[in-house]
Amino acid sequence: MSSLFGFLSLIFATGINFYLFFSRYILRFQSQRFNFFIRLSSLLTLLSFFSLMYAYIISDFSNYNVFQNSHSNKPLIYKISGTWGNHEGSMLLWLSTLSIFSFFFSFTKNIEDDFKKLTLIIQSFLHILFSLFIIFTSNPFLVNSILVNEGLGLNPILQDPGLAVHPPVLYAGYIGYSIVFSIAIAGLFQNKDDEWLYVAKKWSLISWTFLTGGIALGSYWAYYELGWGGWWFWDPVENISLMPWIAGLALVHSLMMVRGEQAIKKWIVFLSILCFSLSVFGTFLVRSGILTSVHSFAADASRGIFILLIFFIVTGFGFLVFLLKEPKKSNSLNLLFINKVSALVINNILMIIATLTILLGTIYPIIIEVLYNKRISVGGPYFNSTVIPIMIPGFLLMSIAPILSWQTNKIINSKKYALGFIILSILVLIQSFFLEFNTWGLVGLLLGFWIILASIIAICSSYKVKFTIKFFQIINPHIAHIGVGIAIIGITCSSIFQTELDFNLNEGDKFNVNGKMVLFEEIATTNQINFQSLRGKFLFDIEKDESRKIEAGKNYYPVSKMITSEAGILHQWNKDIYFILGDQKNNEWFVKVLINPFVSFIWLGVIIMMYSGLIAVTRR
Amino acid sequence: MSLRFQRLLLILLTLIIIFSAVLLILYNTRENVSYFYTPSEIDESDMLTKKIIRIGGFVEKNSFNKISSSSFKFRITDEKASILVAYDGILPDLFREGQGAVIEGSFSDNNIFNATNVFAKHDENYMPKSIKESLKDTGYWNKNYK
Repeated sequence: MSSLFGFLSLIFATGINFYLFFSRYILRFQSQRFNFFIRLSSLLTLLSFFSLMYAYIISDFSNYNVFQNSHSNKPLIYKISGTWGNHEGSMLLWLSTLSIFSFFFSFTKNIEDDFKKLTLIIQSFLHILFSLFIIFTSNPFLVNSILVNEGLGLNPILQDPGLAVHPPVLYAGYIGYSIVFSIAIAGLFQNKDDEWLYVAKKWSLISWTFLTGGIALGSYWAYYELGWGGWWFWDPVENISLMPWIAGLALVHSLMMVRGEQAIKKWIVFLSILCFSLSVFGTFLVRSGILTSVHSFAADASRGIFILLIFFIVTGFGFLVFLLKEPKKSNSLNLLFINKVSALVINNILMIIATLTILLGTIYPIIIEVLYNKRISVGGPYFNSTVIPIMIPGFLLMSIAPILSWQTNKIINSKKYALGFIILSILVLIQSFFLEFNTWGLVGLLLGFWIILASIIAICSSYKVKFTIKFFQIINPHIAHIGVGIAIIGITCSSIFQTELDFNLNEGDKFNVNGKMVLFEEIATTNQINFQSLRGKFLFDIEKDESRKIEAGKNYYPVSKMITSEAGILHQWNKDIYFILGDQKNNEWFVKVLINPFVSFIWLGVIIMMYSGLIAVTRR
Repeated sequence: MSLRFQRLLLILLTLIIIFSAVLLILYNTRENVSYFYTPSEIDESDMLTKKIIRIGGFVEKNSFNKISSSSFKFRITDEKASILVAYDGILPDLFREGQGAVIEGSFSDNNIFNATNVFAKHDENYMPKSIKESLKDTGYWNKNYK
């Protein structure tokens, strides 16, 4: 029943959007009536999504999609998250997110009615494209042709709280760019004033913040769930999310130029189209099955072609409008050698180069396979040795960019910065000689600390420190950059100064990790609701009274006959101690222990960046 | 500095950045790319070069040999040829005999492939046999299901 209801509301929502998009009288509509239709279609789409979720919650196996991806003895949270733990459901989530954005955009006040209508009509167009895709190739409401009383279960790897929230947050980021895209296109058509740039700025900040959160959640999940001890693998799917993120970062920075200077409108429009195109492109690559990873659900060629078609329509339409309708009245830039504008321009160039480098590395294997019929893989080393060096000048620049002047080449308090940089370099050099010397480690630490130091000098010397909301809005760019600095320190330390220890242990053995004694207590197996767990129990630092328990092991899911690893992580502020339980022979267990210094700094940095993203939304 | 000179400097700087980025990319697409083979595609010359490559295929049935809790030997096959692989570490959760796997590493002198990384392929569409049959009957069968 709920499936039929869901399908009907989806059809009805699509119908409304068809009407809105194709009706010639629509522009004559009262804006209230127009908004009513937009909101109605959004609510219907959400209704459709929630009826699918309902089917999952009550385990309605007469729905083919539920039957394939759910099981009645799963915990409730994974029944809910199972809704988007498969291709069809995740596309419906995509469409629902698009609707939510249209819904909220229809409440925007400080924008002309005609402009708003045009933006929402473009949103309707996108809604039509994706709902046709869902209806014709990925319908989640198909009826199960055989009578069953049990489902096949959700992929155990997806049964994790991190992965339950990761897709919706990530999608909010991806699809938030649809609004930016629509605003930019509408801005090209109705080129009256610059008001739309401020609106675009707010929405691109919101999307960027969500995208940051989504990527970080995925990466944190990979860290504790995949059991490799790393948090970023340059997996094609990760790269795909990183591309719109970097392009979005460039967009947010370009939109800042609107504040002080004449906007480089053309560039902003280009970036807006690029961000959304990259989001759709990412969906295509992931869903088409060209790339294999956790994210590519059962692949089906027709779907890939359909999404590719949507990608070409969106990108083609976007860039066509972009070429035909150039923004007028753009004044020339006040470009000097080192002022804010030139810093922002260089930053944009670097980010675009970085995006292209990642794009090239990601699709290079596909190109080579088509051209030479040879299969290659481009892994971490390629990305590490291209993307990171490209970004380094950008990191150097960002430390001082916020205090550069718009009009002149003068840097205020340049002596303080120079002194700060020299002292810092000496300190980092001394530190690195006493510990272990590593060129990349040195560069990373120096950059990270320098960005933080320069931002703090800037805050203290350029503004009066007050604890008001206004003050936090003004120093917000510096705060964001401090977040980046902290993240760089975390990234550098955890990837370069990681130590790995291997042990072969019997139950009851004591072993030494980083100067602390650890006791391997026992191996315990227990039965949980939908899996069996095997855990190695460790007591960390047994010589102290308050020793900490660590459990590392595996889960076995009988429904899908799959095993997942569960790493045991002891979080400390300056390091994570990461236990992985391996195989056994003759009661001797293989245990790998990784010491990852300063991993928590990465997450702290990300949280600070997201905080700044939100604060920036409140500021005009 | 005149305005024109400043802009010239900026353009030069930009060109230098782009140029070095292109050089970096070109260098790294030659150095940091590993080729992918199936066992039957590998010949003597591949075994002699000690480059890092990837081999994809199935883990041969009854070939898995646990030497210690962290050291394994197994054969990877594509039904036409097979290659002996040695690996130290923790095997992925989905690693099983008869399942797909991709091995990264290089050949040692005695033609044993020393794996540095083992990736097991996901097989998320597992289905109980009875349901599989009834699905086949009703035409809902999708070739992705194992």
